[in-house]
Amino acid sequence: MRKIFVITFLIQLLAFPQSTSFDFHSPQNIKLFADHLFCESDYLRAIEEYALIDGQFVNDTIDFKIMLSYSNLGLFKLSNEVFKRINNGSIIYPDSYLLSMKNELVIKSTPLEYSILSSFNLSQQKSFNRLVSVSTLYGEKPVVTKNDFLSVFSAEDHDIISHLYDYKFDPPYKSPTLAGIFSAIIPGSGKMYVGEWGDGITGLLVTGLFAFLAYDNFKADHTARAWLFTGVGAFFYAGNIYGSIASAQIFNAKIDFEFSNGLKVFLENKNYFLPEYDFCN
Amino acid sequence: MQSKLFFFLFILLITTSVFCQIENLKWQKENISYEKPDQFRKRNYSFQSDNAGEFIKKSLVNAYWFFISDVDGDNCAFQPTCSSFFIDATEETNIFQGSLMFSDRLIRDSNPFKINDYPRDKSGYYYDPAYNYTLSQGRIKYLPPTFVADDE
Amino acid sequence: MTSVIKIFLVVVFFVFSGTILIAQNSFEEQFNLAKKLYDQENYFDAVTEFKRLLYFSDKGVYNFESNFLIGLSYKNGNKFSDALQYFTLSDLSSTTSDEAFESRLEIIKINILRRTTERAFVLLDSLQNTAKFSNRIDEINYWRGWAYIFSDDWDKASATFSKIQNENQLVVFCDSIKSDFYNPQLAKYLSILPGAGQFYTGEYVSGFISIGWNVLWGYLTINAFIEDRVLDGVLIGSLLWWRFYSGNIQNAEKFALEKNLEITNSALRYLQNHFNGKKP
Repeated sequence: MRKIFVITFLIQLLAFPQSTSFDFHSPQNIKLFADHLFCESDYLRAIEEYALIDGQFVNDTIDFKIMLSYSNLGLFKLSNEVFKRINNGSIIYPDSYLLSMKNELVIKSTPLEYSILSSFNLSQQKSFNRLVSVSTLYGEKPVVTKNDFLSVFSAEDHDIISHLYDYKFDPPYKSPTLAGIFSAIIPGSGKMYVGEWGDGITGLLVTGLFAFLAYDNFKADHTARAWLFTGVGAFFYAGNIYGSIASAQIFNAKIDFEFSNGLKVFLENKNYFLPEYDFCN
Repeated sequence: MQSKLFFFLFILLITTSVFCQIENLKWQKENISYEKPDQFRKRNYSFQSDNAGEFIKKSLVNAYWFFISDVDGDNCAFQPTCSSFFIDATEETNIFQGSLMFSDRLIRDSNPFKINDYPRDKSGYYYDPAYNYTLSQGRIKYLPPTFVADDE
Repeated sequence: MTSVIKIFLVVVFFVFSGTILIAQNSFEEQFNLAKKLYDQENYFDAVTEFKRLLYFSDKGVYNFESNFLIGLSYKNGNKFSDALQYFTLSDLSSTTSDEAFESRLEIIKINILRRTTERAFVLLDSLQNTAKFSNRIDEINYWRGWAYIFSDDWDKASATFSKIQNENQLVVFCDSIKSDFYNPQLAKYLSILPGAGQFYTGEYVSGFISIGWNVLWGYLTINAFIEDRVLDGVLIGSLLWWRFYSGNIQNAEKFALEKNLEITNSALRYLQNHFNGKKP
């Protein structure tokens, strides 16, 4: 009897370590799972899991990962809410400061007004300077000369950033008034001035055709038909002047779009000059 | 003691607000429809406002659609069509400015080489809404020719 | 051994047994929690709990079912690319041929739903050519029929369903839809006589208006030629008569296609809402 007890007891002793009770919701396990979700780019779930971690286990690195998750989901305001909790003495503070600058730039699209941190290392200083400089492109006027502006960026970016600078502060706009005047003198020329060659030539041909038909019918004494063609010709003539003014405005809107879209694409390709963080390897 | 309480309440507030925000962002069950999407143009024959001028104008356009446009095939490369553009243009501005916009649109429609100038809508027509031509610069929404518009 | 020690040993024995029973249930409990969330249609949270189980799982007992149910959750949320990813994982973690078959079937069903039916056909063919699934040819044909329905080929759908025993309801249904369709090519050719194509598709008003215009412009053109006003004749003929004539042909085809789309969509609506058999 005793032997049976001892044997079963020893068997269970062997079995015990392999089937210890597993706590899925212990703070350590929640953190492990949350880190895994973060590395899988499942950001919303990662944020939810991080929020479950018990207060005493929360640290600034976790808050920074939450910031990054919100930012990657496009929720920049929420990302900056999290920034408010990060201790300004912690080692991750400079990086989270830079990320908050990026969030602010995306939210407001205005020049950034941040002061440089003394705790920045060299690479972070560069990121800071580049972010602040590029944000001046959202302002009304240039803050520094073009050469000083370009010097902040790396040589490979000079072409693009120089082009963006020119588009912003010296845009090649076309004057709607001039376009209207040109089309009043020669129908279609206003559109050609704006660069719409096809529409300009069509306008010229259409107005010209009806003018010719009117003239021809007046000469042949078909007065009613002549006035009809005159009317239609005048309709297209006036419409063409209006259209030239409108197309100049659309051209200017296109310049603005190319600038803002070009800047957005450039910044996204550069990850807003922020370093790439690797928490997963 | 009081500051600790405030701090705790602050953390609680942030955590709960985070939870509420996350709850709103989670995707939900969605019913999948088996139906095929409809790619044919539909006319809107309804009358939008009450005044006499609008009534006359819309009646004329409706008559045009019914007797002529619906019968002579699909000739307009634009979306909205030139006649719908006229309706939109006169609604956005007034009859005179709308007529000028319409005249300009007819000229642009006559241009056989417009292939790279306009964005497309999902059925492949050139997307050219009336609000771009009202002469108020703030209303213009420029879209590049590579864009595919998804509204209406 | 004193009796105290004996009692002590008995107590320890039972505590250990109890703990082992509870411990082995942790993973099962987590699985049941996740499954309950899935059954309550709380799909986002269900996916979270299944992912948690998968991450900590070492023996992989629940791997197939977790991946499969994550896939179904994503499918019910209309997130097809995520669903496909997890059905592929469930296929890789399947332990029986039934499990592998179910996973691949779900992948095919998603391809049907998002109308990438060429892919669905390729996958169905590869399933059919796999030796271990050769006894499930009826099921494969059933889903092949559905793929034909979603690619608008009611003819082939009906033919495929006929190969299955006891699938008469769908055969009859597909045949009736097929017979309701208009033929767009026929509509076009009939329209060589203005108005005939529109009458064929049931659009009588449009047909009469079309006849009217064609007669008017045709008369004016021929009249102009008879009266030797050649330029006028050419202008009216090309700018007006031709526009209305070709428009009539284009319209007839468009009416046929529009009506066919309506028929298709009402059939698909019926299948979605009232058909009681298995659906994608």
